[in-house]
Amino acid sequence: MASVINFKDFYYAYINEKLVLRDINLTVEKGSFTVVIGPSGAGKTTLCKAITGIIPYYMGGSYAGDVEVLGESTKGKRVSDLSLKVGLMLEDYESQLVSLTAGEEVAFSLLNHGFPAEEVKERTSKALEDVGLPGREDYQLDELSGGQRQRLLLASVLAVHPEIIVLDEPVSAMDPDGAESLYKLLSKIHQEYGTTFVVVEHRVEFVLPYATNFIAVKDGQIAAAGTCEVVADQVYADPELRVLLPELWQVRGELAAKTGAHFSLWRKPADAVDELKAQGFEGGVQAHA
Amino acid sequence: MEKEKPQLIKIAPTQEGYRWVAITAMLLAIGIILHTVSPNVGGITPNWTIAMYSIVINLTRPTFKQALGIGFIAGLTLVPSSKSAFPLGNIASELCGATTCCLLVKAMCMSGLENWKLRPLITGFCATFVSGGVFTLILKFVLGLPITVWYKAMLPLVAVIGVLNGVITFLLFKPVRKLFFAQGQEENE
Repeated sequence: MASVINFKDFYYAYINEKLVLRDINLTVEKGSFTVVIGPSGAGKTTLCKAITGIIPYYMGGSYAGDVEVLGESTKGKRVSDLSLKVGLMLEDYESQLVSLTAGEEVAFSLLNHGFPAEEVKERTSKALEDVGLPGREDYQLDELSGGQRQRLLLASVLAVHPEIIVLDEPVSAMDPDGAESLYKLLSKIHQEYGTTFVVVEHRVEFVLPYATNFIAVKDGQIAAAGTCEVVADQVYADPELRVLLPELWQVRGELAAKTGAHFSLWRKPADAVDELKAQGFEGGVQAHA
Repeated sequence: MEKEKPQLIKIAPTQEGYRWVAITAMLLAIGIILHTVSPNVGGITPNWTIAMYSIVINLTRPTFKQALGIGFIAGLTLVPSSKSAFPLGNIASELCGATTCCLLVKAMCMSGLENWKLRPLITGFCATFVSGGVFTLILKFVLGLPITVWYKAMLPLVAVIGVLNGVITFLLFKPVRKLFFAQGQEENE
């Protein structure tokens, strides 16, 4: 599968700070739904900023190596140049909203990129429809709920038709229903448009059914990267990172270690229940042993 | 074995192009609001506008031309709410205050005092003292007051307000810097 993001021996430090990212060699495959995990302060957000060109060229600092997005180096590129290819949704999404109405918000980036008025109207309407806010062009932002404003921002990102969308902890402030609903929507977009998603997430259980790849970051370095199967085993082997895995995978790892049995990678609790029943675990581990 | 760290390339942030304008506008706006609502205690009111542009200048280290712009805008904002006999004097006094602050910051940075904790306090005091000194001197000429009134009554009051402003600049500098320049590891993971 072709890669859309390539980090080559990348190092980065913010101005007057120590290195945040070290020796990053990483590939993100086209059309993947990649989840970035890691402890607080590990460098996850900085990694995302490197994909969008915010670091090092916008924020300054010290760097070595290169980041390629869609085959082109981000060196010397402005964030606005890259924004046609890479969409970004920050954890504090409210800070990205700049307009008074939903329609203006979606149209803002399109107009800045010089799209003709007809196309702006068409794309705005389609993007709002895609995120479940059809016909809300004239809604004032304060008429929308927090979840709707977040979807509105997603519509603004989608309207530009980026090939890659980066999201930094999109469900950190959401209740479980809202989190599930947002990831369902992202998955729908992922399948419909084949967009590559890179999502930084602490609450991994919500993204589990949709993730195709994982990246584990620790102390500014890549601790593990690859398909869910590969990363789940590697991360479980590291006691410091193990707690970051979804509970299902922690249970899976523990059971596998205790019983020596092999399990598939559970995405939902129901998968775990079915497989455990099938393997004769009904009644507990001891009964099985 | 860990790989040897390569030679890092240092680059200046491109965001700084317009950021100083946004920070200046925001802090001056806050300054105007505080200037309007601050009560007068014993004839002394801190000049929030000067404190705010002193913070801006300490934070963004503008060029001399930019500092002139900051001073001009700060002076303009003070004219409508000024209760003095010659409101337009604010423009001249703030031009002097802002450029004094700018020159002092530049001088301190050049002489290795870039990270001196008291830099905001000293520059805030000097900017206020120069600005107040110029403003009261203009008033002295406009009202035809004797020179002794200026240096015996007005200047000491200006100095007191200067100290007050220096303290405000010193106290607010750190939180404002944290707010606008949160780029450390802690904030960015």
